[in-house]
Amino acid sequence: MKANRLTRNAIAMTGITIIALYLLVIFVSTFWLPFDPVEMDVDHLLEGPSLATGHLFGTDEFGRDILSRIMKGTSISLIISIAATALGAIVGTTMGTWAGYLGGLWDHWLMRVADVMFSFPSLLLAIFVMAILGEKTYNVIIAIGIVYIPQFARISRGAILTIKSSEFIKAARSNGASSTFILRKHLLPNILVPLIVQVSLSLSVAILLESSLSFLGLGVQPPAPSWGNMLSGARKVMVLAPWTAIYPGLAIVFLVLGFNLLGDGLRDILDPRLRNVR
Amino acid sequence: MSEESILRVEGLVTQFSTDRGLVKAVDGISFNLRRGETLGIVGESGSGKSVTNLSILRLVQSPPGNIAAGQVIFQGRDLLQASEEEVRLLRGKNISMIFQDPLTSLNPVLKVSMQIAEAIQLHHGQGRKAARAKAVEMMKLIGIPDAERRADDYPHQFSGGMRQRIMIAMALSCNPDILIADEPTTALDVTIQAQILELIKNLSAKDKTAVILITHDLGVVAGMCDTVCVMYAGRIVERASVDELFYDPKHPYTRGLLDSIPSVDLSGPDRLYSIPGAPPNLIDMPDACPFAPRCSKVMEVCARSMPPETLLDAETSRSVRCWLHTKENRNA
Repeated sequence: MKANRLTRNAIAMTGITIIALYLLVIFVSTFWLPFDPVEMDVDHLLEGPSLATGHLFGTDEFGRDILSRIMKGTSISLIISIAATALGAIVGTTMGTWAGYLGGLWDHWLMRVADVMFSFPSLLLAIFVMAILGEKTYNVIIAIGIVYIPQFARISRGAILTIKSSEFIKAARSNGASSTFILRKHLLPNILVPLIVQVSLSLSVAILLESSLSFLGLGVQPPAPSWGNMLSGARKVMVLAPWTAIYPGLAIVFLVLGFNLLGDGLRDILDPRLRNVR
Repeated sequence: MSEESILRVEGLVTQFSTDRGLVKAVDGISFNLRRGETLGIVGESGSGKSVTNLSILRLVQSPPGNIAAGQVIFQGRDLLQASEEEVRLLRGKNISMIFQDPLTSLNPVLKVSMQIAEAIQLHHGQGRKAARAKAVEMMKLIGIPDAERRADDYPHQFSGGMRQRIMIAMALSCNPDILIADEPTTALDVTIQAQILELIKNLSAKDKTAVILITHDLGVVAGMCDTVCVMYAGRIVERASVDELFYDPKHPYTRGLLDSIPSVDLSGPDRLYSIPGAPPNLIDMPDACPFAPRCSKVMEVCARSMPPETLLDAETSRSVRCWLHTKENRNA
């Protein structure tokens, strides 16, 4: 029933198709890349896209093949985005649900901490964390995950608050259910919808955050390719060789678009208030 | 006490701290429940019926609620002193509850079989499959047609009456000693009400389950209960067997309640009788009979102090809390 509604939703399906194409790129890139993404080639610096040389998207200022670097960067970007979102979602939701369910001081202090974290722009917060942790690829995951924790905490807490005083929670308690059981079996399934939507939107923002961090030199370190550091390199030669910036930029744009479309579509499908609105 | 008592509530006081003062929702309730007995608790909205029963299972939200005094003796233990974990293990297994509104008392995103099986899984640690089989068995018992197939349906696919049946199946799945039914038929229409009450009656008779039936419907009391406690402003004002209550009500409030029942025969007065006034505000109650301002037989003493509970018949533990029936007044 739900799967049917998903396939009939054009927006969500467009998003899924785009994401599937990126996954295909990752799959292919593990077996085959047109060129070695880190190999420099002084004979072919900043060459435009051409079929004759085999550099379909051209080469960068070190003569590296841009298509190969984008393909290699896809898996890095996606892994960081998925892992960071998972980290933020699991930790944030756990904190938020307990805070909402228990209430009282625990709730009060957790939410004040979340408020403080919210008062920083997310990129700035991520930069702080990166500065503390050091510039390593897996630290990017932690930095973005930390940015996400208060967001998931707040969403899950709000959702819990609206349903925790429901009769069926009282009924479950009168049935002898423990708090953990109630959270797991009764509360969590009821707040899944806003969480799923938040996850898909967070995935897209994580791509942007990762690119931004790498662009600033705090994320994935060269020579390992990432869309962000490719753009950073392209900044100096963009006027001369626009393809160095255009293709990584497009890679970012389309993946973010894919996740956003999926998120919007999922919200339309899963939110009963929007269900029959066209 | 002719039969063994399985639940004894002694001087229970439950209060809520609000911004405007302390509300004594339940103020010194005592009663006894015998195996297989059906005890009715009647009273207006806000008289403390539900809070009494939530207190028994320690389900009162705290804060703002707080059980300030009293004992709830079950199986020789005081539940109010027991640990939270001990009480939790009794809930649903030994003492279970049915709530008022079947539309909101079931989790909308879980299959009904999962919800019926919940208590079985929690208390008997059975696997999912065995628990589901037991759930289907319970659904058959409570008269849900095509139980095997409907076990995997969600609550919104059932009607209100069917959902209340499912609530009953949930509550009875572990064969509890005591079933607390908090206005189980208030949200249902009359024909379904009768079916649900019949079901509770039959199932409790079968396993000798004691039932505490909370209601404001005296018709339900007449049909279901053995003993009745009438509550007013957090206190039991009259306790009697169901026959005595209907034929010989002692407390003016009970009499008022009985007079307020609409009657089909036209011999009565044109207008339906109602007790004048409204229930008192429970914040900072003065030391006086709370019913005095509305009572037709009010005396000077009523406004001065709270009447004591007078035992009229030690054998049936019939009692009343009214100055009209205290020893001195009866002898005079």
